[in-house]
Amino acid sequence: MKYLQYITLIFCLALCACNDVIDLYPASNLNTDTYYKTEAEVRTGLNGCYNGLQRPMYREWQFTELRSDNSKQGETGSQSSVNRDLSDLDMFFPSPNNQAIYLYWLDSYNNIYNANIILQKLGVTYDPAAGTNTLGKTDVIVTDSVRKQLAGEALFIRGYHYFNLVRLFGGVFIVHNPVTATEAKGLNRSSVNDMYKIIEADLVTASSFLSAKKVNQIAANDVGRVTRWAAKALLGKVYLTLNRKTDAITQLTDVQTNSGHALQASYANVFSVNTEMNSEIIFAIRYRAGGLGLGSSFGNDFAAASSGATIINGSGQGWNYPTNEFDTAFITTRTPLTYDARRDVNIGFFGANKVPYIKKYISPVVLLNDGESDWPVLRYADVLLLLAEAQGYTPASISLINQIRTRVGLPNLPATVNTVALFEQALSNERRLEFAFENQRHFDLIRFNKTLTTITAEQTIKDHFAKEYAKHYANYPAPRLTLAELQSNVNANRLLLPIPQREIDTNTGLKIEQNPGY
Amino acid sequence: MEKTLRITNVLCKIMRFTYVQMALLVLFGSISYAHDSFSQDILNQPVSINAQSVEIKKILTDIEKQTTAKFIFSNSTIKAAHKITFSAYSERLSLVLTKLLTPLSISYEVVGSRILLKKMDIRTGSVEETSEVVIPEIVKPVQVIAFVVNGTITDETTKEPLVGASIVLEGTNQGTISDENGNFKLELADNEKNGTLVISYVGYEKQSIALEGRTNISIALKEAGTLSEVVVVGYGTQKRSDVTGAVSKFKNERLDEAPVSRLDQALQGKIAGVQIQNISSEAGSTPRIRVRGLSSINAGANPLVVVDGHPVPDGLSFVNAADVESVEVLKDAASAAIYGSRGASGVILITTKGGKASKPNYTVKMSRGVKSAYKLYDIMTASDWVKLLFDEAALKSKDPSVPPLTAIQIAPLEDRAGYVIEQELRGGQSTDWQDVAIRDANVMNVEFGVSGGNKDLKYYVSGSYQNDQGMMIHSEYERFNIRSKIDAQLNKKMKLSFNINPSYIKRERPAELFQDFVRFRSWLPTRLDEKTAAWVSANPLYADLKPGDWSQARYFSGRIYSGTMPDGSAWTSGTAINPFNTANQTPIFSIEQQRITTDDYRALSSGDLTINLFKGLDFKTLASAYTSYSKGLNFSKRDATRAGDVNKGVYDDRINIDLLSESTLNYKQEIKKHSLSLLAGFTAQKTNVKDQRVTGLDYPSDEISTLNTALTVDKSGSFNTINNIGLISYLGRLTYAFDSKYLLAASFRADGSSYFAPGKKWGYFPSVSVGWIASNENFLKTVGWLNNLKFRGSYGASGNNRILDFAFVDLLYNANYPFGPGNGTSTIGQIPSRDVLSNRDITWERTFQYNGGLDLSVVKNAVEVTLDVYQSKTEQLLLRQSTMAFSGVPFTWNNIGSLQNRGVELDITTHNLRRKNFSWSTTANISHNNNKVIELGNEALILNQGERTELYMNKVGAPLVEFLGYKTTGVWVSQAEIDAARADGLNTALTPYFVSGGLKLADINGDKKIDANDRTVIGNPYPDFTWGLTNNIKYAGFDLSFLLQGVQGGDVINGDANYLEIKRTTRIYSKDRWVSPMFPGDGKTPVANVGFQNWLLTDYAVEDASYWTVREVVLGYKIPENWTKRAHLKSLRLYFSAQNLFFNTASGFRALNPEARFSTGPYNTPLIDGYQRGSFPVNKAFLFGIDLNF
Repeated sequence: MKYLQYITLIFCLALCACNDVIDLYPASNLNTDTYYKTEAEVRTGLNGCYNGLQRPMYREWQFTELRSDNSKQGETGSQSSVNRDLSDLDMFFPSPNNQAIYLYWLDSYNNIYNANIILQKLGVTYDPAAGTNTLGKTDVIVTDSVRKQLAGEALFIRGYHYFNLVRLFGGVFIVHNPVTATEAKGLNRSSVNDMYKIIEADLVTASSFLSAKKVNQIAANDVGRVTRWAAKALLGKVYLTLNRKTDAITQLTDVQTNSGHALQASYANVFSVNTEMNSEIIFAIRYRAGGLGLGSSFGNDFAAASSGATIINGSGQGWNYPTNEFDTAFITTRTPLTYDARRDVNIGFFGANKVPYIKKYISPVVLLNDGESDWPVLRYADVLLLLAEAQGYTPASISLINQIRTRVGLPNLPATVNTVALFEQALSNERRLEFAFENQRHFDLIRFNKTLTTITAEQTIKDHFAKEYAKHYANYPAPRLTLAELQSNVNANRLLLPIPQREIDTNTGLKIEQNPGY
Repeated sequence: MEKTLRITNVLCKIMRFTYVQMALLVLFGSISYAHDSFSQDILNQPVSINAQSVEIKKILTDIEKQTTAKFIFSNSTIKAAHKITFSAYSERLSLVLTKLLTPLSISYEVVGSRILLKKMDIRTGSVEETSEVVIPEIVKPVQVIAFVVNGTITDETTKEPLVGASIVLEGTNQGTISDENGNFKLELADNEKNGTLVISYVGYEKQSIALEGRTNISIALKEAGTLSEVVVVGYGTQKRSDVTGAVSKFKNERLDEAPVSRLDQALQGKIAGVQIQNISSEAGSTPRIRVRGLSSINAGANPLVVVDGHPVPDGLSFVNAADVESVEVLKDAASAAIYGSRGASGVILITTKGGKASKPNYTVKMSRGVKSAYKLYDIMTASDWVKLLFDEAALKSKDPSVPPLTAIQIAPLEDRAGYVIEQELRGGQSTDWQDVAIRDANVMNVEFGVSGGNKDLKYYVSGSYQNDQGMMIHSEYERFNIRSKIDAQLNKKMKLSFNINPSYIKRERPAELFQDFVRFRSWLPTRLDEKTAAWVSANPLYADLKPGDWSQARYFSGRIYSGTMPDGSAWTSGTAINPFNTANQTPIFSIEQQRITTDDYRALSSGDLTINLFKGLDFKTLASAYTSYSKGLNFSKRDATRAGDVNKGVYDDRINIDLLSESTLNYKQEIKKHSLSLLAGFTAQKTNVKDQRVTGLDYPSDEISTLNTALTVDKSGSFNTINNIGLISYLGRLTYAFDSKYLLAASFRADGSSYFAPGKKWGYFPSVSVGWIASNENFLKTVGWLNNLKFRGSYGASGNNRILDFAFVDLLYNANYPFGPGNGTSTIGQIPSRDVLSNRDITWERTFQYNGGLDLSVVKNAVEVTLDVYQSKTEQLLLRQSTMAFSGVPFTWNNIGSLQNRGVELDITTHNLRRKNFSWSTTANISHNNNKVIELGNEALILNQGERTELYMNKVGAPLVEFLGYKTTGVWVSQAEIDAARADGLNTALTPYFVSGGLKLADINGDKKIDANDRTVIGNPYPDFTWGLTNNIKYAGFDLSFLLQGVQGGDVINGDANYLEIKRTTRIYSKDRWVSPMFPGDGKTPVANVGFQNWLLTDYAVEDASYWTVREVVLGYKIPENWTKRAHLKSLRLYFSAQNLFFNTASGFRALNPEARFSTGPYNTPLIDGYQRGSFPVNKAFLFGIDLNF
């Protein structure tokens, strides 16, 4: 038994190693157990919510530009799956299984989840019955003013996502604090009214929480963060969408007079990568090139197909071509043929055949899908035109439209614009050209159904199909829809997207209603 | 358990030993301790002798009294009557022995503390000291030699003499060893002539023979059947006859001669209950292995692989097949429970070869061969396609129900352009992109080994090199292996084993997938020739292009095409068109411009020391380190995948250090009819993984790919992470046998794992099994034809902890954002995982399994049958469960539900012929497994989506995965048919399907509305049976073995059927398709494009994945010995082997490879299984080899 001492030693050593061996925590990542204790940590979490704004943008244009008279999926002969999925959206018969719809849904709700975590940590609770947000207890070490600032930003982000969701899908699921998987299965769709209730509450609270500083007083490091003016401008748009014109005017006027935002002298500068976050930008989703993982793919997605490196490194996909009719809408005079200054900022042409493509978001890239251009969400021009829309056919409104026209070197609206119908046509047209490819057109058309008397979304899109049919939609080999079939796809139901089938399938307990028409 | 461990913390703080230090301490501490009793020291003891005409045995007895030495010899070696005179004074024993024995032509050898005396000219061959062989210890002085027995020991089958067999008179220590001719001579006293001789020899059954006064006997020993073979079980070995669980043993019979590059591939079809599936047949790919079906959903369903006692995750990829002694598979929970938390999906134990006591034995093995595609897609060129469209248009024009077609309706402009390019620009030539991607690949294998040793020190050293070029261009797999294994008997109490196995694997993988080649346009040349260069350079954008340049699809874009169509008509596109719009470069260009290489350095090193504390009780401690360093480089040159791509290098480094410490106490005791063994042990395993990736951008040249020349580092493509994993375990096992009839075994393991939250870390895994060897009962012993009949039964629990690391806590990930004026400055942001929500409560998955087994061998072991039936139930499944996407994260970890597996496995081995020069045996195995979801928490079912939103359903009461989609009843022949159906009340929102030529979706629920509620089960991926059948035939110098292997049943979703790109480059999907109401084809194949929008899953895409194949054929010839002897060789064998000489798929199968499955992306979970598209072809291989021993 002379070995016994050794054996004892081995067992002792083995035993004492135990806790070291299995009591482990991640060595390379922070975790939610221990984070969000200080102001800096909550701010880092909030920065993550801004990052979360980027993802939905990669699909949003598929629902707002393709599904309008602005753009189309260009390759009718292509049988690639991506192009066919885009065509389905373009032609208003997307499937509930459409991957882009699901991913947009998921990415939006993911960022709502991120924002909800921040709001929970800051002690902000939403009362669905009252439709208000209240400030309760928090464990975060933070001053009251900073806490409100942080909460205001998070509330804006949540409200922004819900506003997009309600416009794209109708009444969907309201999640106002982080929910467990089990809790989620107990929730069903809410009404459109309830959706707007939380959107309004979030934006109202945000605009009261956020600092009243004018845009030029904002600290350099904070440029790009949500401001009171962003909250108010968005709230104005929400009110207008609800056709609450007076409320809209109040908010928009406040922004117009007190924000310090102004039009840029040059339309091109608004979007130039050299003048990002200029005075006209009220809120933008920002991208940053340079191999940081923060660049955008829009340049490559939109550049002309088969263009090699001539437009942008890595070639274009040609997924989102301007319609032929939209290009001609920029014509100012026919003889000699001249175009609105905005055409060249928005549309480029490739090859001998001059294929038009969207140029707005193209900046030189080193890496594929690593573009610099920010995506403007709210800009001062929008506030002016929304105000015009809210005020209706008045001289003040005409003058607001003229401000926009003057900036791009166009003459004032002629005196012949002297009826409500003509005013509305002029307003719609001005918005379309001004905000070309900024994910506004589809939402505008839906809003016009309420706010304007002579323009309806359905008719506009049907007309667009008629205008483009011979040149474009007739070129689909099979299945080739007749114009009548194509137009019949456009109805009130199909203005909304289907709820992703996965969402309906995943909840095997509750029956979730699909949107009608799908 | 945790409380007791905390007490030891204090001790821990005092002595902070790392594992390495600890292992070294144990190892070297013990060695130095052992030093004083090295065998050499025996011979240094002083001896004094003064003998005058004394019997030599007397002198030896004298020496034994003076020293610790004990002599072993046989009466034939030492003549008792021989008297000598000899003296020595305090001389070293070695000197004394030399002086004493040399004149007598006797040599000696030290075995532990014993000295074996042998006649000098006898070669002992490979006599091994094991418990099986009784070595005559002390020779009783024979009083009166009155009786001499002569005899011969031979092999019963081959009749060849057995050299070195031990012959002992029962009840005495008297005995001898057979000589090189198998002869022996034993001198006995007269009163012993009715005694019994016990003859034993390694690898043969022990035999007892009553002498009954005979002086000349011949004994034929029977090669030990599987019964007495030793089976490796967890933490020890057992005799096959004692095994009570379900353990399959596969002895290495030329595993290394199959033309496959990996050990696991070589095992395919050879072990019942172990399904090995080559989900990709590319060089070096990892096959999917399932032991007894699927016992887990998300926690990794791969079996645990243990190499020489060390659980190593990639054990099957780096061990060289030639180094393998045996592979054991622990299939039932009772056998696997000793591996506790990691045993639920079965355990594969790999035992490598060791040295044997013999002269050096050199082996050289070389083989060379070639691999090629068994079958490729039947390709349709762009011209074929357009001709088909025109042919169809011609048919349509005969059908009055079809309105006149527009040009676009006959054939799209883009397709017509392809036709013109192929027919006019390329003069009728086309590119078969499969041929561009696939080549005949060379395979090569060289192995060199030497092994040998003596009783105290045995060694096995081998080196091998393997090269598999890969059928796909730019794929290659090379492997270098070195293995050395040393076993040393340090003294009579201590045994040391030392093992080092470094390996190096170099692999190149193609940057593009085969499926991207299959679907590529045939009109596009790989490089431009005179005519095509002239055409494309007419476009000012591409004015510089010359013949010989790579061609790209975009060069042909933006042009007006015109030419003659198949019907002779002239055609022009009018406006400029893009015949093929893609942003990507051609796959061949992309593949040529990228290099994806990995270098894997691995070393498995272990040392173990066994100390015999007292009779029956062994203490064993093992320290083992598995280290791997993997270095990957993915370098893309400029423009590699798209024009304007910057050159880019991705450098991956992964260091994995896995340390294992294991200490066990093993007690064995046999008292009369009771045989007992006990095992108790402790193990700790610690894994540390460091991953690093750096991505460099913008190099001055494509020729230099080192990071130092890169202009910048891509932050988003760079990271560095560390991960630590730990496991500690206590284990114990008891086996008890009574009278070699009744067997009982029980085991227990407690595991603590770092994977789970505090309070959830420990899991307990007990098992019990019993056996009854009925054939040892007296009433059956008389049944002559029955050699063995054993019944086994077991029940046990095993576990599974292999989930995502730290799933019990939500991790935060970088999510930065640019704030600030201008372009902004990236500012740190953090968000929780977007993919999966944590769950603090998750813990072990546990599998409880019953196993019933039967072992039977009859007619002199000519037929051996093993039958096992089992039922297992896995509970608290670790599930990556789909959650509502609106909760923010689409999945969550959960312990819900349970899964059941039931199955039966049958192994049959028959020795059809057993003659000296002609033998033939057959081994067959067949297994059936079916799994069923018992419970899914509160859910009735879970639905999951694949890449094209095709649905996989997991439903309670059904097999784990079922395909959920629409049944079809042919195609809509005409609009009239649709109108009639609509008039009948049928309606649907799925309008794209309601066109003539579209698939007719069945109204399953009969509500006349075709919608999501009509989806039903249209298949499942699980086979009904898997089987393998091996025949081994030996005739004179020839040996032939062939393996048939197959899988019966099981479905696969063939994505090809839903991909329009593939449908127009391959012929099978357009054959007999619907053209018009008058020409409806076979009534089942839908019209070209219709019906596939939105990728609706229908049974049109579901196919039978059954197959059978002549998987392996090896034909060898051993050059006759008299020839090889002249060349001083022990043996020389030539062989030829082939793989997949014939591969049969089910009739409805339209793709290339029924084994292929997608396994990445959404398919990286067993919840989504059974999908493939553009599958890589099955390979056919031939190999010629030489096998040399000297």
